[in-house]
Amino acid sequence: MTSHPVGLSGNLAPRQVMRATINQFDIAVWRSESGIISAWDNRCPHRGMRLSHGFVRGESLACAYHGWHYNCEGFCHYIPAHPELTPPKTVRPVIYSVIERHGLIWINPTAEARAHELPDNLIPLRTLTFECDENTALHAMSSTAQHAGESFEPGDTLSESPRIITVNTPAIANGIIIAFHQCAPHNVIAHVLVQNTLSSAAQIDVSRWLESVRRHAEANVSEYL
Amino acid sequence: MSAREHALKYWYPVAMVNELASGQTRETVLLETPLQLEATADGNLNASAHKQSLSVQNAFDHWWVTLSDNPYPLFKVPEAAETDRRFVPCGVVRVLCSPLRAVENFLDIAHFPFVHTDVLGAEPHTEVYKYDVKIDDTHDEVIASNIRFYQPQAAKSAEGGIETQYIYRVPAPMVAVLYKTCPQREDAMDVIALFVQPVDEETCDVWPWMALYDDTSSMADLIQFQQFIFLQDRTILENQLPRKLPIDPGLEIPTRADLTSVSYRRWLKKRGAYYGALEGR
Ligand code: FES
Ligand SMILES: [Fe+2]
Repeated sequence: MTSHPVGLSGNLAPRQVMRATINQFDIAVWRSESGIISAWDNRCPHRGMRLSHGFVRGESLACAYHGWHYNCEGFCHYIPAHPELTPPKTVRPVIYSVIERHGLIWINPTAEARAHELPDNLIPLRTLTFECDENTALHAMSSTAQHAGESFEPGDTLSESPRIITVNTPAIANGIIIAFHQCAPHNVIAHVLVQNTLSSAAQIDVSRWLESVRRHAEANVSEYL
Repeated sequence: MSAREHALKYWYPVAMVNELASGQTRETVLLETPLQLEATADGNLNASAHKQSLSVQNAFDHWWVTLSDNPYPLFKVPEAAETDRRFVPCGVVRVLCSPLRAVENFLDIAHFPFVHTDVLGAEPHTEVYKYDVKIDDTHDEVIASNIRFYQPQAAKSAEGGIETQYIYRVPAPMVAVLYKTCPQREDAMDVIALFVQPVDEETCDVWPWMALYDDTSSMADLIQFQQFIFLQDRTILENQLPRKLPIDPGLEIPTRADLTSVSYRRWLKKRGAYYGALEGR
C-alpha cells in the first residue's frame, strides 16, 4: 500500500488525538505534549475501545474506557486498576508508520510511510472534506470554474494513488496543489497547498474557490455516483 | 444448535408494563424477528411474530416474551417482592453493539473513574481490589462478590463519597443484576438490573430497572440519574471494536480486575450462548 496524506500537521496540535481511515484500516493519530506523532490501530488491546477517543497525558495516550496509558512507542506502562503492576510488553496496539512532510501527515498501514515528493516552496492552506468521491470532486473543479466564468486549467497529476494534482486558476493563483485522501467510499478529503509567495488575500480567494467547488461537487453527487 | 437457536430459548423484555395504553400497538424487533405488540383492554399484552402469538409474562415492571415453545424459566429477583422498595423502570436505550458487550460493560467497575468521572468513580481512586467470582451451581449463574470501590456519588440519594460494596449476578446471557450499598439503609442493598433485548447480533435495546430504598428522590430524578450514567456507557459501547464480543481469549487482554468479564465469557461459551459473540461457532 502507498502512504496516504490523512491530515494537515497544523491541525493536530500537541495533546490532540484524531481518527483517520485508510480503506479498512481504522487509525488513531495523536501528538504528545512534546510533539511526537504516533499512528496506531484504533483498538485498545484491553477491551477494544477506539483509542481515538482517548486523551493525551504528557507523553502518553490514555484510553477513554479504563485509562490504560500507552507511551509513544505504544507500550502500555500504567494500568489504573492495578497501580503497582508493570504491564507486560505484549500490551501494545498495532503500530503504523507515520511521517510528516510538506505540512501533511502521511501514514502507511502496511509498510514504511513515505511522503510524495512535492516542491519545497509550498505552504499548507487547509483541508476540506467532500461528501462525494474523488472523481466527482475533480469534475466539479472545472465545472465550478465555468459557472463562475473563470479560467481553470487542470495541471499535472503528480501521483495517481493517492491522487495529487496541480491546478491553476489564473485569476487567483497558479501552482495550487491538491492532495486527495479517499477515507470512505463517498467521503474524500482534499488537502490544499499553495505557493509560499501567495498573498493572504489570494489565499482567502483560493479557499473560497474550493468551498464553491465543494458545493458543486456535493450537489452533483447523484449525477455522478 | 446455532447461536440464534440457543438465544431463542430465553425470555426478553420488549416494553415497560405501564407505557402502553389499552389498545396501543407497537412494533419491535427481537433476534431479527419483527414483533407486533398490542396492549389489551384487560391490562395484558398480546405479542405476535409472523402472525403467530407468543408467550408473554409480566415481571419486574416489563413485558417479557419468548420466541420458543419450550423456553428456560425466567430468572428470579427475590427483591422484586419487597414491597417497601421503589421500583423504577428507566425506559429504553438503543445501543449499536452486541447485547453481550452491553452486559459485560455493566459488570465492569474499572471504568468508573474514567467514564463516570466524579459520579461512580474518580481519580486517584482507580484501584480494583481483589474480589471473588464463582459459578453458582444451583442456578448456574455467574456471581461476583466482595467488590468494593470508592464512589463520589454512588446514587441519587448519596451525599458525598462512600466506599460502595457491589455484588453482581448474571442469571441469563443478556441480563445482569447488581446489588450495591444503599446510601440510605445500612442493612439493605439497592438493586439495579440491566435487561437487554437483542435486536440483532450488533444492535440491542437496553432496559435498565432499579429496586431501591430511596424515599426522597422523585421518580423523574431517579430515572434521569440512571439514564445519564447509561448514556456515558453508550459512547463506549458504540466504539468498541469489534462490535461482537470476542468470547475466546486472544484478541483482548484482561487483567485481574476483569475476572467477572472473563468468567462471563467462559460461562457463555460453556452454555453455547454465542449470539452476539465473535468466536466459538
Ligand atoms: S479498553 Fe482501553 S483501557 Fe480498557
Ligand atoms: Fe458504566
